[in-house]
Amino acid sequence: GLILLFYLVFYGFLAALFTFTMWVMLQTLSSDIPKYRDRISSPGLMISPKPDTALEFYFNRSDTQSYAEYVSTLRKFLESYDDAKQSQNINCTPGRIFDQNDVAVKKACRFNLSELGQCSGKEDKTFGYSKGTPCVLVKMNRIIGLKPEGEPHIQCASKEEGMVEINYFPPGGLIDLMYFPYYGKSLHAHYLQPLVAVQLAIHSNSTKEEIAIECKILGSPNLKNEDERDKFLGRIAFKVQMTE
Amino acid sequence: IQEDHKLSASELEGKYGTNINKGLSSARAAELLARDGLNSLTPPKATPEIVKFLKQMVGGFSILLWVGAVFSWISSGIQIAQGADSPFDNLYLGVVLALVVILTGIFAYYQEAKSTNIMASFSKMVPQQALVIRDGEKKELPAEQLVIGDIVEIKGGDRIPADIRLIAAQGCKVDNSSLTGESEPQPRSCEFTHDNPLETRNIAFYSTTCVEGTATGVVINTGDRTVIGRIASLASGVGNEKTPIAIEIEHFVYLVAGVAVSIGVLFFIISVSMRYKILDSIIFLIGIIVANVPEGLLATVTVSLSLTAKRMAKKNCLVKNLEAVETLGSTSIICSDKTGTLTQNRMTVAHLWFDNQIYSADTSEDQTTQPFDQSSPTWTALSKIVALCNRAEFRPGQEGIPIMKRVVVGDASETALLKFSEVLLGDVMSIRAQNKKVAEIPFNSTNKFQLSIHETDDANDKCYLLVMKGAPERILERCSTIMINGKEEPLDSEKAEAFQTAYMELGGMGERVLGFCHLYLPENEFPDTYSFDTDAMNFPTSNLCFVGLLSMIDPPRSTVPDAVSKCRSAGIKVIMVTGDHPITAKAIARSVGIISATSETVEDIAKRLNIPVERVNRREATAAVVNGMELKDMSLQELDEILCNHSEIVFARTSPQQKLIIVEGCQRQGAVVAVTGDGVNDSPALKKADIGIAMGIAGSDAAKNAADMVLLDDNFASIVTGVEEGRLIFDNLKKTIAYTLTKNIAELCPFLIYIIASIPLPIGTITILFIDLGTDIIPSVALAYEKAESDIMNRRPRNKQKDRLVNQQLAVYSYLQIGIMQSVGAFVTYFTVYAEQGFLPLTLLGVRVDWENSAINDFEDSYGQQWTKYQRTYLQWTGYTAFFVSITIQQVADLIIRKTRRNSIFQQGLFRNKVIWVGIFSQIGIALILTYGLGHVTALNFTPLR
Repeated sequence: GLILLFYLVFYGFLAALFTFTMWVMLQTLSSDIPKYRDRISSPGLMISPKPDTALEFYFNRSDTQSYAEYVSTLRKFLESYDDAKQSQNINCTPGRIFDQNDVAVKKACRFNLSELGQCSGKEDKTFGYSKGTPCVLVKMNRIIGLKPEGEPHIQCASKEEGMVEINYFPPGGLIDLMYFPYYGKSLHAHYLQPLVAVQLAIHSNSTKEEIAIECKILGSPNLKNEDERDKFLGRIAFKVQMTE
Repeated sequence: IQEDHKLSASELEGKYGTNINKGLSSARAAELLARDGLNSLTPPKATPEIVKFLKQMVGGFSILLWVGAVFSWISSGIQIAQGADSPFDNLYLGVVLALVVILTGIFAYYQEAKSTNIMASFSKMVPQQALVIRDGEKKELPAEQLVIGDIVEIKGGDRIPADIRLIAAQGCKVDNSSLTGESEPQPRSCEFTHDNPLETRNIAFYSTTCVEGTATGVVINTGDRTVIGRIASLASGVGNEKTPIAIEIEHFVYLVAGVAVSIGVLFFIISVSMRYKILDSIIFLIGIIVANVPEGLLATVTVSLSLTAKRMAKKNCLVKNLEAVETLGSTSIICSDKTGTLTQNRMTVAHLWFDNQIYSADTSEDQTTQPFDQSSPTWTALSKIVALCNRAEFRPGQEGIPIMKRVVVGDASETALLKFSEVLLGDVMSIRAQNKKVAEIPFNSTNKFQLSIHETDDANDKCYLLVMKGAPERILERCSTIMINGKEEPLDSEKAEAFQTAYMELGGMGERVLGFCHLYLPENEFPDTYSFDTDAMNFPTSNLCFVGLLSMIDPPRSTVPDAVSKCRSAGIKVIMVTGDHPITAKAIARSVGIISATSETVEDIAKRLNIPVERVNRREATAAVVNGMELKDMSLQELDEILCNHSEIVFARTSPQQKLIIVEGCQRQGAVVAVTGDGVNDSPALKKADIGIAMGIAGSDAAKNAADMVLLDDNFASIVTGVEEGRLIFDNLKKTIAYTLTKNIAELCPFLIYIIASIPLPIGTITILFIDLGTDIIPSVALAYEKAESDIMNRRPRNKQKDRLVNQQLAVYSYLQIGIMQSVGAFVTYFTVYAEQGFLPLTLLGVRVDWENSAINDFEDSYGQQWTKYQRTYLQWTGYTAFFVSITIQQVADLIIRKTRRNSIFQQGLFRNKVIWVGIFSQIGIALILTYGLGHVTALNFTPLR
């Protein structure tokens, strides 16, 4: 009985001590930016839609069901880029870092869906999947305070030549500097990260074949894309296989 | 039982096909050798090295780790087959686990081999030669080559090469002590004197020594068929009991393995029912097992034991079997020999009686003067007799050596007297030279005196001095006067009464008493040309003048009383087992405190109350002196009763065979029994005992072989030092284990919480191994250097059943108190690291599946940043490292609190054990190297911390 009481008190005390230290630790943190950002110095690349299995797209252009999920994912993803949702966002000066360090309320730059051209989902509701020109959105991971240098742009290539023709929206796969830096979820609530749409016009002789595509971020000296261990740092590889 | 001793010489010749004068022919000998084998004892069967090695490989936790390794390989095989991204992680883990097992196995094997080697050197004997008659010629042959029927010749100093039926002997005496424990040399002749072959005089036994004389005999038994060979095989038949520490460690291994396996299986079931994949569940299982098993502990225990063994060797206890170190600590009864162990094994003059008064002499090991009053002229006369009537001599060339350590040629009592007079009178040899000996009758058992006649050193005095010593009553018979204060007075009945009282008193102290008398031969009757004839006895041997008595004893070693009282306060019962006379045994027991001053035996009470022994309430007597003859007739119950009811016991006149019975009796009381022994026939008792202690100086090889420990100085006090060391190591092992077990909880909790709360894994399996085998090893060995706590020799010996090495108290304290505290501390660090990098604690709960999904490379943290899989993994490793460092630092604190169990840390002193600090610094150093030095080696999963 007494022993049980001892453990009750002992563990109660430990729990209290744990909670207290955690509380003290949390007090030392700012709610705006994390204390350290040394483990993510360079952003990773990611695509949307992201197939469930691995980064492999399998669909039949004539079967709506086979790509319905990709389309709905894209649609959902682009919802936040809707003009209506961006009413508070401002138009920034392209090509320049948009520094807002002195401003208390950080503004978000507008990203016009029209920049995604054929991949914006406005004209083609299936994002090209029904036409054999599927769109994949490439985005760069958000990292607080990251200011890319140079002219960062996305460039993709298929492993074997002549299977696919790649188009970029915005042209040249450019990522505009005005979207940087990012100030974090709480300060930069309406922030939208810039997107690059990659349209893959698959040659008719290459249907049924698995096409391996690798996208990289180029043109910026401080964005790494060749890390040995991290296969997603500044690059991404995925596979597409289309049947008819 | 053989009948050879009853046969006549010619019957022997017939039986063995030999010839007493010519011996066997070489051809026949070769034939017999081929049939019977070499004349040597078969050494006990040694376990093949490879078996020993494999035992180390699968013993203890190894089997559990092997299972872990195999599981790792299986799961990595499945992963490779499935084409996962990092299939090699588990492969590495399996390899690391296997390496751990193999390395600790090799280490343990090496340690054991090392300690066995020390002993191996002991058992190597110098090849023995024997003088054999073959083909009518005398030949020197290796004793191994002897066969039955060989005729061998032996002489004083030889070891008897086989069991021999004597056919001729001149003044032959053998020392049978290695066989029967009797230290008096036994005469040997060719007559058949006893039905029992062990008692008859015409058989000499293998491995005993011929002390003096020569003999010729027929070999009747060789090798294992000799009497000693049969005893040796009897000894190997007595099973080797498991040492207490081995039992304890086994118990501990079962306990921990049980906990590991049951938690592992429990969580395997939980994780399967939580819909984790079977493969993942297996990996969790491995993690839990690795976290639970203290990999480094068994190696640490071995190191601690061997450190203690080394320390004990310095204190003259050579430990053959590492585990015996601790057994000694749990000893609750010591059955000790008397001669040589409790005593100095050297006759020394203890008391003198002259001028109607008893004087005590100094009996310590290194006497240089004697304190008693030496002014009386009687003493001068007595000292002259002592110096002159003595045939013992110092071996030449020993001038620099202290008197008590010099080697003397002569028997034990003469040696004692020689040394005694050398101490008191100075150069005895020159005194003898000045008092030239003209005639001498040596001591013999018929007349029981020794006599010599000397010229005197006084140049003016031409008369001869006759000096005599011997059994006091015989000497007194020959005396008509007695010297009192230098004057001769007639020996009347009153003076004779005084003599009797003194004689009885000295005899009652267990001492050997000698009487001394002298006579100045009148010059007119015995002019200096007189020719003395010792055969005709043409000189007076009665009406002499009695001068005094000297009594001798083999005195206790001076360190023994202290050691015995230490045993007493440590709750250890000391039982004396000796072949000596009860009176002597009791006297020594009293003087060393085995029988304390206030306690009485049944006989003492009877004497005090003046009632017959039968009417004494046996329970009232705390002490008992049991005679071997009584013991022989006792039932086991009666023996048990004696062992139970009396706290102070002396067994006198016991045969070595009875020693075994006594040991078994003690063990029936549930005691851990230590037994000392030196003779070959002690070996069954030594084997039977929980710890057999052989004498290094007096001990026979068989005894040393059977024992677990060898006392290099034959000193009882060394046993007590050993007990202290044994208790210390038990205490320190407890500390080590408590220290080691603590962090297991801190290693286990992460896995459990990982499975239940689905947080990113706080610590990896390999990191755990780095704690267990890296940072924690040196500190836990350092605890073995911890000094004894103040009460170590004041508590009772531990109870084998109750006082386990790992008991509930220790486990609960380590696991549920300190362990939990450590886990809480480590988790604070873990959450801090994640929070500072952007993952607040609450966001971590339940993220495991997405966190570990390598297809998700935009994992969002609490601040909206996105992480790739590798970035997360790297953060996870940072978490491992932080967790590791946190445990390491808490283990430093743990180490300091584990330094003591009963004392406060200030009593024990923070800096007395310097090795602890080496441990702490090594711990921190290794942690620093791992985090910062090796932070970039991926396989180790360490990252530099900020």
